[in-house]
Amino acid sequence: MDPIFLGISVVNGIVVGGLYGAIAIGLSLIFGVMRVINFAHGSFLMVGLFIPYWLWQLFKINPYVSVLVAAPALFVLGYAIQAILIAPLYKRERAMVLEPISALMLTAGVGLIMDNVAFMIFGPDFRGVTLDFASKAFWIGETLNINYTRFTAFLVSLALTALLSLFLVRTDLGRAIRSTAQNRDAAALCGINVMRIYNVTFGLGCAVLGVVGCLMIPFYPVSPSIGLAFGIRSFITVVLGGIGSIPGCILGGLVLGIVESVAAQFVTATSASIFSFVIFILVLFFRPTGLLGMKV
Amino acid sequence: MTLVATSVAAVLFLALPLAVTDEYYLHVFVGILYFAYMASAWNIVCGYTGQLSLGHSALSGIGGYISTLLLINAGLTPWIGMFIGAVCATGVGVLVGWPCFRLRGPYFALTTIAFAEILRIWTENTEEIFGVELRGAQGLSVPLKGHAPALFQFDGKVPYYYIIIAMLVGVMAITWWMERSRMGFYLKAIRADQDGAEALGVNSTRYLLSAMAVSSFLTALGGSYYAQYFRYINPERNMGLDLSIELALMGIVGGQGTVLGPVLGAFLLTPAGEITRATLGGKFPGLHLVIYGLVLILAMLFLPKGLIQPIRRLLGRKSAASRESEPAAA
Amino acid sequence: MKPKTLFVSLIAISLALWTVPVLAGEKVAEVKLGSVLSLSGGAANQGTQTKAGAIIAADEINAKGGIPALGGAKIQLIFGDSQSKPDVGASETERIIQRENVPLMFGAYQSAVTTVTTEVAERYKTPWLVTGSVADIITQRGFKYTFRPNNKAVYDANEQLQAIKTLTQETGKGPKSIGILVEGTDWGKSHAANLRKLAKDLNYEIVVDEAYSPGTVDFSAQILKIKSRKPEAMVIAMYTPDHIVFTKQAYEGRLDVPFGIHSVGAGSEDPNFYKAVPVQAIEYMFVQEDFQIDITELVDWTKPVDKKFAEMLGYPLTSYGGQGYSAIYTIYDVLQRAGSLDKEKIRDAFAKTNITSGPALIMGWQKIAFDKDGQNVDAHGCISQNFKGKRTTIWPVANRPKGVKPVWPIPAWKDR
Repeated sequence: MDPIFLGISVVNGIVVGGLYGAIAIGLSLIFGVMRVINFAHGSFLMVGLFIPYWLWQLFKINPYVSVLVAAPALFVLGYAIQAILIAPLYKRERAMVLEPISALMLTAGVGLIMDNVAFMIFGPDFRGVTLDFASKAFWIGETLNINYTRFTAFLVSLALTALLSLFLVRTDLGRAIRSTAQNRDAAALCGINVMRIYNVTFGLGCAVLGVVGCLMIPFYPVSPSIGLAFGIRSFITVVLGGIGSIPGCILGGLVLGIVESVAAQFVTATSASIFSFVIFILVLFFRPTGLLGMKV
Repeated sequence: MTLVATSVAAVLFLALPLAVTDEYYLHVFVGILYFAYMASAWNIVCGYTGQLSLGHSALSGIGGYISTLLLINAGLTPWIGMFIGAVCATGVGVLVGWPCFRLRGPYFALTTIAFAEILRIWTENTEEIFGVELRGAQGLSVPLKGHAPALFQFDGKVPYYYIIIAMLVGVMAITWWMERSRMGFYLKAIRADQDGAEALGVNSTRYLLSAMAVSSFLTALGGSYYAQYFRYINPERNMGLDLSIELALMGIVGGQGTVLGPVLGAFLLTPAGEITRATLGGKFPGLHLVIYGLVLILAMLFLPKGLIQPIRRLLGRKSAASRESEPAAA
Repeated sequence: MKPKTLFVSLIAISLALWTVPVLAGEKVAEVKLGSVLSLSGGAANQGTQTKAGAIIAADEINAKGGIPALGGAKIQLIFGDSQSKPDVGASETERIIQRENVPLMFGAYQSAVTTVTTEVAERYKTPWLVTGSVADIITQRGFKYTFRPNNKAVYDANEQLQAIKTLTQETGKGPKSIGILVEGTDWGKSHAANLRKLAKDLNYEIVVDEAYSPGTVDFSAQILKIKSRKPEAMVIAMYTPDHIVFTKQAYEGRLDVPFGIHSVGAGSEDPNFYKAVPVQAIEYMFVQEDFQIDITELVDWTKPVDKKFAEMLGYPLTSYGGQGYSAIYTIYDVLQRAGSLDKEKIRDAFAKTNITSGPALIMGWQKIAFDKDGQNVDAHGCISQNFKGKRTTIWPVANRPKGVKPVWPIPAWKDR
């Protein structure tokens, strides 16, 4: 296999992988702090894509500007769903044995409703945003071209990861979140309002999807049905990178992106997705903490 | 009390085809009973081990594909083919279960999804293997033989109805027996606290895998039944995530870890979906799934142990006077 | 809410739902036509378009006084949602045949669903008019009650290669190698299989033969492969989201294919695709579909249909809308000749169908007649080429508007 093409496919994989990582950040955060697997993660991304789409379609607002609307909107949505629907499960836990499955199935129900309400309102159509600059790319040599909007998404994803990591380490709220993740009861003893932290974390995880949605819509079309596929990809990314590790997410995303891209050069792309699942399983068995994760 | 209720129910169900001659309603009942059977088979491992499998559809797919392939390529009657398929599925289930049971909680669920997806994607992409045609994503059509009982094909719905009743009774009996056996006892201990149980000398792997084996076997039989009833199977519908989630949904909403729970779940959710689709499906597509989602959320918030709880209490109050001992299952 | 209350309410709601079918519906002198379509799920788009086309046709017929041979009976359409799943489609078929007592049915777009529903209809001896499903097996089972007016899958592949051959003959220049890129499930892979067989007979070398997973976000890898292997013509089979991403990336990457990119429908039949890609990206692209896309400009009586469809769904008449429309008019023709609601008479009337003019031919076919397997051998698709955002039919030559000259070979990106 031509080394140049191999190199190019790695580069393409990296650009896509950064985005996968950013998508998975919210999932990792939520699971790391609350031990809840958010089955509705992909559905939140779908909402995060629809908001900039409609703002562009109705008011011609540039998706990158829509971040100012999408991120807070998704924060509120996530916060509300956690506070109203998921919180009661925790309150019950004090009395009886925790059913970890309950939270998973509950979020699955939330995802079902979100996907299908969106379907009932918007219909099945795929909708894309066409921006003039969206089709421009910069070239390296004769054969490698990288689309501006994808590259921007990649850079912003990295920036977002860095910002979030800084937030978790340097700010009081961030430290409160991390300590709740490490030991809930100890955190409560230190005076941290654990339920409020949960709500904020869930909101934060969803807000990230708002940003990512705005980054993606210039080059990726949205419809109510895309949630599940991205949800599953996010699980793989989170496990690869390590639960609760934000930089790990990016790393996991990069690995996933590169594997998908390179494998597709050797086998048909449909079979390539099997590789992703196989790696996922191997990581779970042999290194369950993932590449950078903390002990679960 | 329960004996009377059971006998009445039994008579009602057995006599149903005499009263209901409308093929469509029979079809609906077959559908309900099929899901009750599949959810019960799922329940044998998931209800009693506390692990959530979201990959069970793969087992049903294996059963369906093997019995159909044997019929198409070797002319072997599905009556035998389905057991061969079930044995294969058991092998796969145990092989996959063995490493998976080391994982806990959501990791287990995610891994089952991964395994099922691998099988589904592989099947979708394989046109033929070792000279046997799999037809990938196009699926397999069961050769139409008209009315051929020896080949598990019938003209009307009634024979299918009785067969699925027999299967359902079988799986319920197996569950009931397992609950009261030593294995059931150990499984309950493992479910409550696996580490604690192991500390007391319970070989959890052996019992978990046994449950997995039984569940896989029965689920695969269900897959073959599906193939013979609809006369068509494909990877997406029979090995896909949708089906796995439906089974888990019914088992959990009805009440895991009980004999009647999954049956109850199927009896509530299947008609609800059917009716919503029949009356509103043409005008409000997608609504039935919103309803499923709502039911799931409400069940998780208010009835985490399933619908069987309030029913138990209702019945319990009625027979409080007779001082009946509480059934063994939680 | 107390669990017990919740439980009782749930039961009450379930029971209440049973009363809905009882309360609805009054009886009028009318003919009920049953249909199963994918109104939700992955194929909801196409199912919804087919439904819209059928409704327009039924309204037209009813406005003109219904079906004369049945005493002016009006058409009432009964739609069932297959949810894009074969077993649900089968259930809906059972329900509609049993409970609504329809004399015939049509649908269901997806081959996997139609394969099963036609089998149910065959068991109940109910005629079924296929819409949109191309799987060859549907008319290869010796069924007596299944009738398909549209292409079989193998026709699609054949037509694409025939068009290439025609254009080669007209200009003296043509490709020697072909590349194939298809979506990796049912439809895409069977199309690829058909292409491989036919290409071999026509002596084309296949230098790229790829399938991709549905939901692919990035086609850089595939485009890279195409650039390195340099096929002279590309055939693609993609659904809407993938088609959007691929076309955008092929444009950004300035992918040059001398004898064009030939898309076999699906994504390229979806109006949403055209809204989502820049006009330059699809310049000179060839699209094969069951429908003659510019018929609404060339043939006057199609214009009101186009207008009504646009009012209903917000975009111009599509192939699937045309199929729904054509199906109803074909059924009208059949019922006129059968003169009764007896299923056997209807089936026989279907078998003797010979439509050579009229609204049923909105698809651009010249004839609808069914062979002994129920297949319309005169079915054909049309292939259009895209000029500045407008799709103009260039094949078959009989459907090519006067004065239209296809661009062949395609100029390279740097020369445009």
